Amino acid sequence: MGESNEDIDQMFSTLLGEMDLLTQSLGVDTLPPPDPKPPRAEFNYSVGFKDLNESLNALEDQDLDALMADLVADISEAEQRTIQAQKEFSQNQHHSTPPEASDCRGAASLSYGADTTVVSVSPYEDDLPPPPADPMLDLPLPPPPPEPLSQEEEEAQAKADKIKLALEKLKEAKVKKLVVKVHMDDNSTKSLMVDERQLARDVLDNLFEKTHCDYNVDWCLYEIYPELQIERIFEDHENVVEVLSDWTRDTENKVLFLEKEEKYAVFKNPQNFYLDNKGKKESKETSEKMNARNKESLLEESFCGTSVIVPELEGALYLKEDGKKSWKRRYFLLRASGIYYVPKGKTKTSRDLACFIQFENVNIYYGIQHKMKYKSPTDYCFVLKHPQIQKESQYIKYLCCDDARTLNQWVMGIRIAKYGKTLYDNYQRAVARAGLASRWTNLGTVNAATLTQPSTGPKTGSIQPNGQIPQAAPSVSAVLQEAQRHVGTSKDQKPGLGNQEPGAPREHHRPKSSLPPPPPVRRSSDTCASPAMAPKSKGPGSCSFPAPPEDFLPPPPPPPPEDCELPPPPPDFVPPPPPAADGGSALPPPPPPPPGLCQEATRSSPVVPKRPPVPPKRQENPGLPSSGGGGEQDFMSDLMKALQKRGNVP
Amino acid sequence: MAGMKTASGDYIDSSWELRVFVGEEDPEAQSVTLRVTGESHIGGVLLKIVEEINRKQDWSDHAIWWEQKRRWLLQTHWTLDKYGILADARLFFGPQHRPVILRLPNRRALRLHTSFSKPLFQTVAAICRLLSIRHPEELSLLRAPEKKEKKKKEKEPEEEVYDLTKVVLAGGVAPTLFRGMPAHFSDSAQTEACYHMLSRPQPPPDPLLLQRLPRPSSLSDKTQLHSRWLDSSRCLMQQGVKAGDVLWLRFKYYSFFDLDPKTDPVRLTQLYEQARWDLLMEEIDCTEEEMMVFAALQYHINKLSQSGEVGEPAAGDMGLEDLDAALNNLEVKLEGSAPSDVLDSLTTIPELKDHLRIFRPRKLTLKGYRQHWVVFKDTTLSYYKSQDEAPGDPIQQLNLKGCEVVPDVNVSGQKFCIKLLVPSPEGMSEIYLRCQDEQQYAQWMAGCRLASKGRTMADSSYASEVQAILAFLSLQRAGGGGGGSGNHPQGPEASAEGLNPYGLVAPRFQRKFKAKQLTPRILEAHQNVAQLSLPEAQLRFIQAWQSLPDFGISYMVVRFKGSRKDEILGIANNRLIRIDLAVGDVVKTWRFSNMRQWNVNWDIRQVAIEFDEHINVAFSCVSASCRIVHEYIGGYIFLSTRERARGEELDEDLFLQLTGGHEAF
Repeated sequence: MGESNEDIDQMFSTLLGEMDLLTQSLGVDTLPPPDPKPPRAEFNYSVGFKDLNESLNALEDQDLDALMADLVADISEAEQRTIQAQKEFSQNQHHSTPPEASDCRGAASLSYGADTTVVSVSPYEDDLPPPPADPMLDLPLPPPPPEPLSQEEEEAQAKADKIKLALEKLKEAKVKKLVVKVHMDDNSTKSLMVDERQLARDVLDNLFEKTHCDYNVDWCLYEIYPELQIERIFEDHENVVEVLSDWTRDTENKVLFLEKEEKYAVFKNPQNFYLDNKGKKESKETSEKMNARNKESLLEESFCGTSVIVPELEGALYLKEDGKKSWKRRYFLLRASGIYYVPKGKTKTSRDLACFIQFENVNIYYGIQHKMKYKSPTDYCFVLKHPQIQKESQYIKYLCCDDARTLNQWVMGIRIAKYGKTLYDNYQRAVARAGLASRWTNLGTVNAATLTQPSTGPKTGSIQPNGQIPQAAPSVSAVLQEAQRHVGTSKDQKPGLGNQEPGAPREHHRPKSSLPPPPPVRRSSDTCASPAMAPKSKGPGSCSFPAPPEDFLPPPPPPPPEDCELPPPPPDFVPPPPPAADGGSALPPPPPPPPGLCQEATRSSPVVPKRPPVPPKRQENPGLPSSGGGGEQDFMSDLMKALQKRGNVP
Repeated sequence: MAGMKTASGDYIDSSWELRVFVGEEDPEAQSVTLRVTGESHIGGVLLKIVEEINRKQDWSDHAIWWEQKRRWLLQTHWTLDKYGILADARLFFGPQHRPVILRLPNRRALRLHTSFSKPLFQTVAAICRLLSIRHPEELSLLRAPEKKEKKKKEKEPEEEVYDLTKVVLAGGVAPTLFRGMPAHFSDSAQTEACYHMLSRPQPPPDPLLLQRLPRPSSLSDKTQLHSRWLDSSRCLMQQGVKAGDVLWLRFKYYSFFDLDPKTDPVRLTQLYEQARWDLLMEEIDCTEEEMMVFAALQYHINKLSQSGEVGEPAAGDMGLEDLDAALNNLEVKLEGSAPSDVLDSLTTIPELKDHLRIFRPRKLTLKGYRQHWVVFKDTTLSYYKSQDEAPGDPIQQLNLKGCEVVPDVNVSGQKFCIKLLVPSPEGMSEIYLRCQDEQQYAQWMAGCRLASKGRTMADSSYASEVQAILAFLSLQRAGGGGGGSGNHPQGPEASAEGLNPYGLVAPRFQRKFKAKQLTPRILEAHQNVAQLSLPEAQLRFIQAWQSLPDFGISYMVVRFKGSRKDEILGIANNRLIRIDLAVGDVVKTWRFSNMRQWNVNWDIRQVAIEFDEHINVAFSCVSASCRIVHEYIGGYIFLSTRERARGEELDEDLFLQLTGGHEAF
């Protein structure tokens, strides 16, 4: 084992070196925007790899393999690009083969947008100088595709292609990646590559696929600061790399993958947060008895109006005094604009309140065992701090509640005040992800009844009072329909549409789990494994993967015009990198579909059973979630938007 | 025909004389006398009246008002008997539409013709259609408060009254847009001006006026307003409104459906104005921090509306043009210029370098500001002992991303400091930069602000940020006389107007802060909203208003059954709140979603409500009539039945069913 680890270690460093080289060389001719923040990027890498080295011994082989596949893919992608460039399509009769071949390979290697574009566009670029520069050149028009397009359309399309190509290259050159070790709830860890465009939601999806857990909405990424003894749930919309880059080099902080029912507690039982604080007596009654319909209407009222309603929350909390281990009891109030307290001798009317903190620059954390660490009155503590602060500091605010219920109310209330509607959107996305089933169980059993209930109509029909209440048609049915539609669409909706992340077809992974070794699924969107490369670089036990036949002669008809612009979605998983330990090499790799059938095969293969014809806009999407970059970012996103619009036009 | 006579002149049928006054209720009105029988139809009577008057005029809008019974005789096929009219009935033959002066949410006055014969609900709907405000069910009319000290107020300058009496709106058709406004406004310069008044925010009020206007000092003061709501199911005439009276138009129900900046310019603006006045008049309380945000938004909105940037410029149909522009743009970038240029333009980040004085507060040091050579590039601030050492290692380097930027400025004292709170793993480090003049300050400040948001000075908003800061500084200076430094694009008007920060905050902050204290705080809050467009800023204002805990509560004084003291009932869009009159504490909350039914006993003015689980609540109304309370509850229930799918159509019957029911009494 030690030996193999060493091997792997070594392999890693060679791979990394290779990759760096390739990326660099590539960078040079692909308009390398000298990274505006070189020190930072480097630093992040070092965090990642340092982490990795540290954890190498701890890593499970399978993990390692998955990671390797990631890295290999990276390299091969880079290599492939250069090769592709150099190859120049000298064999003219193969014109249309390469793109499709690469698609097939994609089926095995999880290539995605960017790469496929490169390939599928290139056939038209016959007389190219160094290809990476091609977007800049005025090129001869592509040969007329079978469905003849008007001259202008073609021109525009060709131009669009080129631009896309250029943009993606520009982007890729800058994409920052991080190897993150995620701790599972069973004390194991998984390492995965997170690129800077991925949100917590994407990483979660990635983990779902890797772990085959249920797709419960409670699963979350969770960050832990052992030094400060604080921890918090990643919000689904947060950019993971951004959060992690606030950590220091030598940090002990960890990322966990676990279920936390606190994550979306407010959406499951809104009454505990919105209807609780008034009149202790009846709170018990209401909290248990609220039915699904009322919950829905309460949620709708709170989250779907012009502005989100922050739960009314007030009460005495303990505040830790700066630099001391003493705690002072104060009366605090939560408002949408921040936390306030009642100064001595004042009343709690709005005009007297003093601002304690506003949420713009702070995150909220749970404090763990602060009773021990800081002598807090109870263990129900929460902490507010700027995300960049990593050490003890007077700028960290510690608060302590009397009981767990209060703590949860405050933490949730603050999250609602801070994130607003985004939180609800996240939840709905998570629900759609998890499928309808879990939602029904969450909401209780009344659903069937509400479904059959007419949407409007008096609740009590017998009496005729002066004012009878036509029940507010609390749109449950609408919401449910919505949910159903969500699920419906996410089932047959193709990746890259709606809330789906680029290059991350999700739903169709489930059926696949029956395939032999669980396919590690890659999602990082700027890499592409070329099977030709893969065997070489893989460690012992690698399987040889048949390269697409070069001698395939009758070239398939040139792809229909749309495909030039929108190549068929690359399939979404890599052939299982053979697990080194369990003799995975024995397992035959899934044969690549015959190249001739490529497009059809990709679509109709059991892997992606329900892929619709051509998902529009698919390629553009990988770029979208990118986090803000330099000045050119604006321009580029404009362009991307424009291109997306165009995507619908042809 | 009625009026058969014998030769002696005696009437032989059962006809009698009916006297009808012509004109509005006026004792000296001209009158005509008709000979009628009990079987005469109202239509016939009308015809006779017109014949009798014998004047050429369009009488189509006229109808008969029966003064004693306070009702219109609108059913022309009914007979006098059916109405029960006898010879002693005082009838007035007058127009159904009469002019009133509306006091809009933005406090401007507008004269228009409105129906005095239709139920108020329809009248308001017609007014809203004229003003192009969607969802008229959210608005209603109030009586103007009686003016107590008439003599004092006579000095008040005559205010401008906008006039829409001549505008006629074609019925049934949705108003079409013409030149960016509903077609009926584009007839004349006058109506156009009126539309601008409706759709653009008004400048901030005079702070002195603000202090003079009466403000509610207690919860019970806030109940006063709600006693003046008119009844939705009866017409204006029935409620004693006379032609030419002043009525207030206000959003009554705080449940704004489908607020859309694109289609609702007037609605959004008027809602913004109502919210603004609510805050300025302290009808709703907010904290200091919140007030600063409101002030900053008002400042921003005012600036935008003055500079004429109404609406988003050509934000309408992008699409292909958009793409083409982008393509051309890229084409130029990629093809027209050498690659190195592309790189330059993409990657060159403007930087600032200058001698600045820096102060770092530390424990146990008395050191003050020291001159340093400071370089600000990307989002990073580095400082050196001197310019010569700049190539070397800086004394300190700070990445401003995520930092807090606080202005510390005193224009008259020529103090231009920027306080930075820069986060680092160890905590926050505090640092002050002192600039020499406004120009330098504005540049560095703008850079710091962008950097704190992770953007660089290459960002397109940098220039406008610098301008905004300069404009704000001149605003501060305007108090001291001078102005119009020419640095800001708005020219002298903005500064000459001397935007007084006191006009942006509630009077209690006028007492609490000096103007020069207020300005930097507003400026600080302004940096977060400076990039919003006008409708966005208005929407943000409304959202912030809605986020206040006390938002949307209408207060009434009531006495609960079994209680011996008066209490406050707060009615919000989803709940009823029982509030202690003296302390203002919430005693109990009932949500409409748990409500089963409510009843009004009109005789003893008592409202009884039954909630789920046999919770019964009953109270009698003290400050407002129980009709108003009843209508509020019914109105909110009605509003909650609205659905997006149903579009604009209003179920008036349902509304009246929910809010009416007392006509019988």
